[in-house]
Amino acid sequence: MWLTLKTLPRDARDTLFLLLVIAWTIAPQIDNLPLWCSGMTASLLVWRGVIALRGSPMPSRWWLFAALALATAGTYFSFKTLLGRDAGVTFVIVLLALKTLEMRARRDAFVIFFLGFFALLSNFFYSQSLLTALSMLVALLGLLTALVNSHMPVGKPPLTHAARTAAWMALLGAPIMIVLFMLFPRIAPLWGVPSDAMAGRSGLSGTMQVGTIASLALDSSVAMRIKFEGRPPRQSSLYFRGPVFSAFDGRNWSPARRAVSQAAGTSAPIETSGDPIRYEVTLEGNNRPWVLVLDATPESPSLKGYSLFQTQTMQWLADAPISDIVRYKATSFTNYTLAGNPANQSLGENLTLPSGFNPRTQQLADEMRRDPQYSRADAATWVEAGMQRLRTQGYTYTLEPGVFGQHSADEFWFDKREGFCEHIASSFVVLMRALDVPARVVTGYQGGELNAVDGFWTVRQSDAHAWAEVWMGAKGWVRVDPTSAVAPGRTGSLQRLEIPQSALGQALSRVSPSFVVNLRAFWEATNNRWNQWVLNYSQAKQLNLLKNLGFESPSWEDLSYVLIALLVLASSGGALWTLWDRHRQDPWLRLLSRAHQRLTKAGLILPPQAAPRQIAEILQRMADQPPHTQRALSTELHAVSAWLLKLERWRYSPSKDRATTATLATLHREFQQLRWPKHLASSPLPLENTFS
Amino acid sequence: MQAREWLHPVAAIRKRFQAWWQSRLPLRDTTTLTQRNVYILPTRPGLMLGLTVMTLLLASINYQLNLGYVLTFLLMGCAVVGIHVCHGTLRGLTMNLIAPDACFAGDNATIGINLVSPSRSIRYGIGLAVLGTQHWSWADVPAQGSTKVQVAFQPVQRGQYRVPPLTAETRYPLGTFRVWTVWRPAAQVLVYPKPEAHPPPLPPGEPRAGGAASLQRQHTGEFDGVRPYRRGDPLKLVVWKKAAKADELVSRDAQQVPRFELWLDLAQAGSGHAGQPEQSLSRLCAWVLMAERQGLHYGLRLHGLEIAPGSGEAHKRHCLQALALF
Repeated sequence: MWLTLKTLPRDARDTLFLLLVIAWTIAPQIDNLPLWCSGMTASLLVWRGVIALRGSPMPSRWWLFAALALATAGTYFSFKTLLGRDAGVTFVIVLLALKTLEMRARRDAFVIFFLGFFALLSNFFYSQSLLTALSMLVALLGLLTALVNSHMPVGKPPLTHAARTAAWMALLGAPIMIVLFMLFPRIAPLWGVPSDAMAGRSGLSGTMQVGTIASLALDSSVAMRIKFEGRPPRQSSLYFRGPVFSAFDGRNWSPARRAVSQAAGTSAPIETSGDPIRYEVTLEGNNRPWVLVLDATPESPSLKGYSLFQTQTMQWLADAPISDIVRYKATSFTNYTLAGNPANQSLGENLTLPSGFNPRTQQLADEMRRDPQYSRADAATWVEAGMQRLRTQGYTYTLEPGVFGQHSADEFWFDKREGFCEHIASSFVVLMRALDVPARVVTGYQGGELNAVDGFWTVRQSDAHAWAEVWMGAKGWVRVDPTSAVAPGRTGSLQRLEIPQSALGQALSRVSPSFVVNLRAFWEATNNRWNQWVLNYSQAKQLNLLKNLGFESPSWEDLSYVLIALLVLASSGGALWTLWDRHRQDPWLRLLSRAHQRLTKAGLILPPQAAPRQIAEILQRMADQPPHTQRALSTELHAVSAWLLKLERWRYSPSKDRATTATLATLHREFQQLRWPKHLASSPLPLENTFS
Repeated sequence: MQAREWLHPVAAIRKRFQAWWQSRLPLRDTTTLTQRNVYILPTRPGLMLGLTVMTLLLASINYQLNLGYVLTFLLMGCAVVGIHVCHGTLRGLTMNLIAPDACFAGDNATIGINLVSPSRSIRYGIGLAVLGTQHWSWADVPAQGSTKVQVAFQPVQRGQYRVPPLTAETRYPLGTFRVWTVWRPAAQVLVYPKPEAHPPPLPPGEPRAGGAASLQRQHTGEFDGVRPYRRGDPLKLVVWKKAAKADELVSRDAQQVPRFELWLDLAQAGSGHAGQPEQSLSRLCAWVLMAERQGLHYGLRLHGLEIAPGSGEAHKRHCLQALALF
């Protein structure tokens, strides 16, 4: 590829290089763009590439107008608007590709560069991972290289020259970037967090349609990271609580009607015992108000910038959606009792089943109730019965349970007999309710993975889980994880269903399984560091930084002061350098001008540009004239004149090798040692003639 | 002219300012560019980049993208470094003027400029032009080396011309800033009058002082001074009749030729268009060239100035210079 680029004429080479850079910039977004957009962009870029290779003429304006109209229509039909983030990104990318077909003058090229920077930024809407950052750094360097190259008008300079300049500029620009990044005040979004900010990021959902968590199981992106103080709890008690669903309409599970509207301050009635577990959570932004903590956390986690409250269902909520990575400390107790609200209405909602759904499950419940074996059954007995059924009747845990119909619980219990945690939990709760046991579905994350490199626990989207909670009277709400009955490994030793690996991954793990694990651990640790330092850099951290610098109670105004002070410092540094640079001279010229000064001081009038040879000649002639013929003075003059000639010889010697640079030092030394004449009578020679 | 200036007061003021500012510049044939004489301003794409960066910053704020901040600030950093690199491309450069040859009015006078760079890196994309024109000559100056660049200008009138002010500029590396300098060279160029395109034939010769006898002989068509052809003899001197008879070429002896003295006189050249000395000078110029081409002896008579007949390159230049400065 590089070779082809080398042999092409300059225009074609530059165009192809720019096309490559554009393709590289856009490539990571292919998944997020509508299909027509990806296809159109690719074909436009290929079209332009063919034109560059063949040197054929550019398409007429009508083609471009047609393509533009097509793109506008496509964007409108895909998003029903031309505004907003996704529509904007789609449009910018098509425009970028389209503009390459119009790239004639330098001005057009500039439009491409600036659209390119937008396209680059738009990648960060979807991912801010380290990998994305690195790939976009390459894209940025590529764009800069193309930009620099377009300002090398002469001949066909190799692209590496432009690339080197671009890399240097980025490297020298990095300190400026770091200072600005650290100190630029982090302002809240100017017109509210756009509703589409988090689209494309997966996570738990506010309602549970049976089947949604299964799609998360394939997503190995990180949901949060936890650093435990002291010993971490057992894997099997790592239940991070998310939304709790009490209302069921047959298809969707949603939170209890009153749960969210609870006023702040009325936290759930929790009694705890045993040792507390203290830890720090770094939660990826999910644009939801959920603050995920372990069961159970009676005290509010300390999350700066948000005010938190707990619902009656023990879920912690923030007053605003968490749109960015946040970090908070929490203290939890794995031994707890959730008394719950004794109000009958709340429990009643946890008993309701919509009519017309899952008739066979209700029939099963009726049969069980009639069974004399369970004549005195309480909630615990029914739970055990349900779990027993799951354990013994050949139910299996699967990632691909297929599509469930209207009666999802019926299908699970009687037809498919396999499902993912949400099917199992949902079906279990339906059965419990049919048995008149108040029950609800809880979603969140279960488990996690210790990264041996940095000691952080990583919880991924694939750890998303659904379980059940059953009301057991005096014991309150008790967690029941029906999935553990079907697949004990899921919660105990945390065996996951194997996600199909890529060919490379398979090959690697066959060669050395531990290598793959270590590599992954290292990569995760790097990523975590990245999150902690770059993505989680917030206003709180900025203000902490100021505190360390000695500000008592820093505010964002102080940030601006520091920024301005640094700016002033940098510019005065620049000014000083300029002053110094102005006086900087060729060392040879400096030596000559010093000699010049000495002679002028002694009274000799010399024109400013006198060459050393000319001065030497004057001095020699002077030495022969009456007032200077005294022996001492004459010797001095001859010595100076000889030195001047030497000075000239050094400058104009045909071979400048290392030996001659040593001579410059010698010349310096001799300059110091020379006896410079103190008083020279005004020259008796017609100097004007000498220099005219 | 007045009215137009009145219509564009800004343009007029700018023109006057530029004239005043240029007149302040020292005249020199060698100039080293320093902080003092290198100027820098953002270009239109530069302003566009500023707008882009602001938009990126706004997007980063509104979507709370920390990586967006990183990108925006890195771009800012690169732009700031770009200013320095751009300025550094000209700063420290030494420009030597190679004095241009004399030329004819209306022809291109080519100015050679030697760019010398003492720095350790290549200076890319330096453009040179006569101030006010858009004919840029681009060059890269190698590290610790030099490059020669040529720019041309068209003097319209004869006379001694000062080389017009030159300008050097660069937009390397990002095109977001224009760094330029203006330089007034001290060198002068002599501009001869524009030779008349289709001049009438040369005027007849005048009898040489005291050469009446030889005049007679010339009329008979006989030549006493004849010698074998030597390389370089003008074809006009070849005696073709003899060449037809014998196989060898024979030339008239040039020293014997000038029986007549060819005087190119302003008074003669001016006939036909009185009161238009430029046209007469233009014709004289064409005649000088013609006479020199034919290898004739010729002298030049202007009002109050007489150049004795002669021939050869130096003589021609002497005559042309007299015409240029008349």
